[in-house]
Amino acid sequence: MNSRLSTWLILGLTLTFLIGPFLIIIAAALSAGNNLAFPPQGLSLKWFIKVFTIESFRASFAVSMFLAVFGTITALVLGVPAAYAMTRFKVPGAEAVKLIVSSPIIVPGIIVGLALLRYFVIPLGVGIGPALFFAHTALVLPYAVRVVSASMENLRVDMEEAALLLGCSRFGAFRRIVLPNIRGGVLAAFILGFVTSFNQVPVSLFLSGPGLRTLPIDMIAYMEINYDPSVAALSALLAVMSIGIIFAAERFIGLSRYV
Amino acid sequence: MFENRAIGLALVLPAAIFAAALFLLPVGILLAEAFQTENGWSVSAYGEFFASPRNQTVFFRTLRLGALVAGVSAVVGYAAAFAIVSLPPTSRGRMFGLVTLPLMISPVARTYAWLVILGRTGFINKFLVDLGIIDTPLRILFTETAVFIGLLQLFLPLMIISLVSAMENMPRDAVPAARILGANWFQVFWRVILPLTREGLVIGGTLVFTGSMTAYITPAILGGSKVLMLETLLYQRVTVANDFVAASVIAMILIVMSFSANLLLKRLATARKSRK
Repeated sequence: MNSRLSTWLILGLTLTFLIGPFLIIIAAALSAGNNLAFPPQGLSLKWFIKVFTIESFRASFAVSMFLAVFGTITALVLGVPAAYAMTRFKVPGAEAVKLIVSSPIIVPGIIVGLALLRYFVIPLGVGIGPALFFAHTALVLPYAVRVVSASMENLRVDMEEAALLLGCSRFGAFRRIVLPNIRGGVLAAFILGFVTSFNQVPVSLFLSGPGLRTLPIDMIAYMEINYDPSVAALSALLAVMSIGIIFAAERFIGLSRYV
Repeated sequence: MFENRAIGLALVLPAAIFAAALFLLPVGILLAEAFQTENGWSVSAYGEFFASPRNQTVFFRTLRLGALVAGVSAVVGYAAAFAIVSLPPTSRGRMFGLVTLPLMISPVARTYAWLVILGRTGFINKFLVDLGIIDTPLRILFTETAVFIGLLQLFLPLMIISLVSAMENMPRDAVPAARILGANWFQVFWRVILPLTREGLVIGGTLVFTGSMTAYITPAILGGSKVLMLETLLYQRVTVANDFVAASVIAMILIVMSFSANLLLKRLATARKSRK
């Protein structure tokens, strides 16, 4: 058996299956015609331009951006101290805390969304906005704790102890010694959380309304009614955005070391 | 390690309270809902849920699709992982990057591509009609086949990643040694590769199986209301029928499954750590 040939044949087929559909989406988005089709009918950039003029996409993009950025920051504000405590202190009930904090990974998002709608939004009379924000924060929290904990574990404790001995306050030691050393881990957690939150659909399903939708939910709603290539163009743009972020993160902080 | 418990506790409390109050509590109440009836607590809601033929169909379809996607991705994954680890280091890294690339991209975008390919006027149908192989377009969209294809594309990378890292830990000369001793490729796979990568297979299989079973986007877009899976059934029950009891039962099924998968993975991880 020619093993080189079969190696490349297997890889070629696998990649065609995994990546081919994107190339088709990009091609379909470049169509000049009005219907979603591949091969495209003529070439134009009009759908890429049209995406930016669709009001609901602009609004939902802003919502998704806000959730991804501030939800992840909130998760880090909660998660970094927790990770610090769990790697440096003997916390009573540490295992239980770990389980509670990582539970959002275990519970499917759609259930979280429904539970928050039924038992948080409705009884307390809160808007779906805050609930959506909390849900996205909770979703990102496990990643934040896990990634930051990993880089704290790699940081030796004696440096902090030295700082404390030399008269630094505990917070000072954290700020001057720990934080600068785990910067890469925090940044990796932020990027991971951002991408996770931005692409997340199920958690937002029940927490969306006419005026408040995340971008992926808006795309699903749009494609149910319209059969034009604008969602293809938007998908292509989002794919490029995600890949760009991950690629840059890999380049500058070596993202794969942290996840 | 610092001894001060109070500070430690103060630092973990915000995260723990946040997760407990805004996450565990509402989910807990939702799960309890199915056990509440007018005359006290009971499990009758579960019996009622499974008595309905539609719910049975959806439940078994979800299990079947999860198992099928896990099985097929294992077969494809072994071939792909073996091909990847047999590459020279630079192209191996590059190929690994290409395989994991789809994981970074929005699942909506990933699933949407299949609409263009599998639809009535999609790529495949057009191709087959133009060649004269079929007269009328095939119905692929909104069938289990479409959902299967979408899920496989979504989760195959997870299987490949698990198998590649398992194969990288395999002794490098195990396969050549078996070949020299006269084993054919089937024997090499069955008696050398499979036992040595079993752990990677279990990890990948669990990730793919639970991922497929708890998928929402793929069955929603490619299956529609014709091919419901547990999550799309949950959504439909709530939005169409206001049936929160069914939602609670489905939630319990999904959580129990996801939790046991997680437990299994954690066991494997600790077992591996202690062996090192």
